[in-house]
Amino acid sequence: MSSAALPAASRMLFLEEYLRPTLFIPELKSKRKDPALEELVAQVAAAQLTRHPDRVLEAVRRRESMGSTGLGKGIAVPHARSTLVKQRTVVVARSKKGVDYDAPDGKPAQLLFLLVAPPLERDPVYLNLMAEIVGAVRLARTRQRLLDAADFKTFRRILVEATRD
Amino acid sequence: MTEAMTQPIDILIQLQDLDCLIRDLRDPEMASQQQRLGFALEDIQELERSRELLAGQVENERLLQIYERMSRRFVRVIVPVEGRVCTGCRMSLPTSDPTRQADSATCDICENCGRILYRR
Ligand SMILES: [Zn+2]
Repeated sequence: MSSAALPAASRMLFLEEYLRPTLFIPELKSKRKDPALEELVAQVAAAQLTRHPDRVLEAVRRRESMGSTGLGKGIAVPHARSTLVKQRTVVVARSKKGVDYDAPDGKPAQLLFLLVAPPLERDPVYLNLMAEIVGAVRLARTRQRLLDAADFKTFRRILVEATRD
Repeated sequence: MTEAMTQPIDILIQLQDLDCLIRDLRDPEMASQQQRLGFALEDIQELERSRELLAGQVENERLLQIYERMSRRFVRVIVPVEGRVCTGCRMSLPTSDPTRQADSATCDICENCGRILYRR
């Protein structure tokens, strides 16, 4: 995992403004990939950012069919473009036991970041958000702190600090 | 929780989402950056077959032609109407006749930019 998709000079930080308590799942119920994706997308609907979770889920699954978005080290970043999502959205979820996610290292995903965004003519932010997420969780110490965070506020602070490192 | 959409717009929206994915995977810069981040990317042939099948489900031939033609120019061909504004070109739609009907389909076309409109 590399820390950024763009050269440092052109790198802007976006993730912070996407982190919302209503888009945080402290502990996923599902231990399998597909129902976990369903839980993540349901959160987008619960936050009223889509009225069509089935269609959003389909776009996420389709991306997944092109290769797992499990990155190893307990990280997964499922993502998709979906016409029926109102704005770029990041749902953050944890799983202490882990989700069986078909990762290259075989490790279950414990930190999951769902990124969904409507189609735009040009959208560098989408890829930048992906890069920021991957970069923020590159250290084992940060990942552990995120798993141990008692509440969303703490989780958010740790993640935001890590994006600036 | 999911609300039902009318047939042509529902399939066209799925087609637009699929086209976005294919476009992203075909874009050498996007694909290489995703791979650098650690994402696995497989061959898109399967997706292209799915796309053919999906396009075949659009019953209104003329609407599909409009979509195919517009999607060569724009990423966003199917756009929501917000209030009375087409979110593709930001033009207000006329109040009397808000949209021009596309054939007998339930889809509307923006008179200004030609995008296919839906209400969300
Ligand atoms: Zn328009």
